[in-house]
Amino acid sequence: MSDPYVRVRNLSVDYGGAVALNEVSLQLAKRGRLAVIGESGSGKSTLAMAIAGLLPGRAFANGTIEFPGLDRKPRPGKDIGVLFQDPGGSLDPVMKIGDQIAEVVMTHQSMGWIAARVRAAELLDRVRIPKALSRLNDYPHEFSGGQKQRIALAAALAGNPSLLIADEPTSALDTVVQRHIVNLLDELVQDNGLTLLFVTHDIALASERADKIAVLYKGKLVESGSAAKVLGKPQHPYTRALIGANISLETPRRKRLAEINADELQ
Amino acid sequence: MPPLVSFFLRRLASALPVLGVVLIGSFLLLEAASGDAVDSYVARSGAMDAEQLAQLREEWGLDQGPLYRFKAYACALARGDLGWSTAFERPVSSVILERLPVTLLLMGIATALAFVVGSLLGVIAGARPGSIRDRILSIGSLALYAVPGFWLGLVLIVIFAVDLRWLPVGGIETIASGKSGLARLGDIAVHLILPVASLAMVYLALYLRLMRDRMSEIWRDPFVKALEAWGLDRRRIVWRHVARNAVLPVVTMLGLQAAAMLGGSVVVESVFAIPGFGRLAAEAVARRDTPLLLGVILCSAITVIIANLLVDLAYGKLDPRVRAGR
Amino acid sequence: MILWRQLNWEGRAGAALLMALVLMALLAPLIAPGDPLAITGEPMLRPFALELHPLGTDRLGRDVLSGLLHGTRTTLLVAFFSAAVALSVGSIVGTLAGFLGGVADTVLMRITEAFQTVPGFLLALAAISVTGPSVPTLIFAISLGNWTQAARVTRAEVLSLRERDFVAAARTLGMRPLEIAFREILPNAFGPTASLAAISVAAAILIEAALSFLGFGDPNRVTWGSMIAEGRTVLRAAPYLSIVPGLALVVTVLGVHLIGRGFSRAERLQP
Repeated sequence: MSDPYVRVRNLSVDYGGAVALNEVSLQLAKRGRLAVIGESGSGKSTLAMAIAGLLPGRAFANGTIEFPGLDRKPRPGKDIGVLFQDPGGSLDPVMKIGDQIAEVVMTHQSMGWIAARVRAAELLDRVRIPKALSRLNDYPHEFSGGQKQRIALAAALAGNPSLLIADEPTSALDTVVQRHIVNLLDELVQDNGLTLLFVTHDIALASERADKIAVLYKGKLVESGSAAKVLGKPQHPYTRALIGANISLETPRRKRLAEINADELQ
Repeated sequence: MPPLVSFFLRRLASALPVLGVVLIGSFLLLEAASGDAVDSYVARSGAMDAEQLAQLREEWGLDQGPLYRFKAYACALARGDLGWSTAFERPVSSVILERLPVTLLLMGIATALAFVVGSLLGVIAGARPGSIRDRILSIGSLALYAVPGFWLGLVLIVIFAVDLRWLPVGGIETIASGKSGLARLGDIAVHLILPVASLAMVYLALYLRLMRDRMSEIWRDPFVKALEAWGLDRRRIVWRHVARNAVLPVVTMLGLQAAAMLGGSVVVESVFAIPGFGRLAAEAVARRDTPLLLGVILCSAITVIIANLLVDLAYGKLDPRVRAGR
Repeated sequence: MILWRQLNWEGRAGAALLMALVLMALLAPLIAPGDPLAITGEPMLRPFALELHPLGTDRLGRDVLSGLLHGTRTTLLVAFFSAAVALSVGSIVGTLAGFLGGVADTVLMRITEAFQTVPGFLLALAAISVTGPSVPTLIFAISLGNWTQAARVTRAEVLSLRERDFVAAARTLGMRPLEIAFREILPNAFGPTASLAAISVAAAILIEAALSFLGFGDPNRVTWGSMIAEGRTVLRAAPYLSIVPGLALVVTVLGVHLIGRGFSRAERLQP
């Protein structure tokens, strides 16, 4: 259980001058659930994308990301599945959802078109799309936001990845739908023995669903450890401020920063 | 009512007022012309005394007020009668029907060529925005976009008909060749190569640019990042997703360009001496044939409306979001 | 000069080309004095054969270089004015339609649609057949088929501007509706319309060339289109007589497109 699945060492990323990550090192245990928290611009999404191998071309990365359990470079889709924030934007608007998932299935498994469609229906069923088989020929705009995120999750899992990276998977959805998606994520991670890395600005969500928490602030990893430790005995003033003030990170940024003494953080 | 029928009826209803405006507008414009059909008839057929002139004017309804003439014209139109061409001394509708197929053939092939080649090249350029291939194709298309079709036609004639002698200089088929069936079709095809090329090039460049620009926007769309994250290979992302999405605005452009291409065919048909609908417009103006010009304008408006209708139908097939909203 | 710095290399190339063309047009009477339609030498002289006629002479013995230079004047004059007329008419119609709404909007947009349905080149032909060819009538005829896009763009912009604060403010200040439309809304809606300028100028150049190629241009002026048509009669013997003025057309239109792209890029950089 304690074997690291991902080991990140001294990772720095900058986008042509603007530093997004600064010397970040952390480990993610196999079958562990790590929450990366921080405010927008803290570099948490950059960290997730760097691990997924999806940094944009203009990003300049330094440091190492190792996958000790794999004997080769991880392949996107096959080893790592990614779920993005915007559920509507993750799907091609002019392709049937059955085709989109079947396409991912066929990319990773040698399977015929019909078998891939059947597998797509199975996957949709697993993410609780009602009457999955009859909806294979529907287009993304015929689904609600929460359903689109489930379909995206089905596509992310279509290659049977062992690591799932979720980049703020629920922040574009309303609270009730958020709950459903998070429960579904939890369940799928448990059932399939997945390793989970999720990025969030919702500290309550992180405390509920993660065994480990990493706190990013201005591109630096300021604190990491078990969820109980980080939340129970926060070492860093930023974490303390986050919990102490019990501010949700949804409060306006200016107010939030006013409550945190910036001098103390340096 | 089946949705397709109601779609057609609705489109027809919105096209009628437009056609009405076209009719009124062109009629007013030509009312303003100095000299009427009788004057031009006399100019060609020689002297006539005043009595004969008045008789002819009465015969053609030219002695009545403009409102009467317009009403007479509109009523005749409703019966499918486009009037009498003074230049050809035949009904306008028969002249137009004789000339229209050639032009529709020319435009159809040119549109297909411009669309297929233009968007394929656009995909090659847009597959990697900023690459060398993209730059070469972008600059090439910009230069091509500046080339007037009639001049390109002359250059092509100089190269392929005069110097190389590979292709005919003009006309739609070899005169009195006695060919029939497939041989005649082949003969027409050979005659159409240069006109189609000169008419299509500008649109080819336009569709290339449009496709390329739209693709470079779609690359920034989040769903493309998701496709990469799920492991699809690049070739598949380019063709099945980015190009597939980018082709939609190019298809809408096909309808919008129908009018422009019809205008372009006027000059290209003149360059290649093709007896088509476009050249008919120039002939009608040159020979002061008012009914013919009115007929040409009306028929081209109808052609454009039908072209747009077809494009909208095709678009509905291609974009599921529109299909649902209809 | 601030403008110059905002342009990318494409815009600069286009601006340089256009400036050269404007100079050619202005200096034409100095470089090539006399009537360009006058016969000044032997007919059909090849280019570079005589210093007196660097680009040769045409079928009748008229100097090609002189024709090219003077042709620049006609081309630029007709193109710029007809684009200006088209944009002004289009933005006025668009403002009225967008601002008045209701029946006026419907009627104006149906008219716009009708003008879009008839090929612009046919409209120009029809207008010329009524008015006869001269520079002012050409400007009118060409703008007839060229204003619709400006009307649509302006209308869309006006519709989005109509609800903004400054319009409401003008209303409370007691400005009359038309005053609001033309003093407050139109100037603000003009930006996106002006970006159509390059397209309109290029279209006008091409239509003017095509008209004079068909012989519907101003007969008292030399134009590139008429030079191409003139050269066409001796296409086999002297293809350059058609090719050279055509190249001038291509370069001019390319310059206009380049500068248009340069400006739209510069605009996009600004938030």
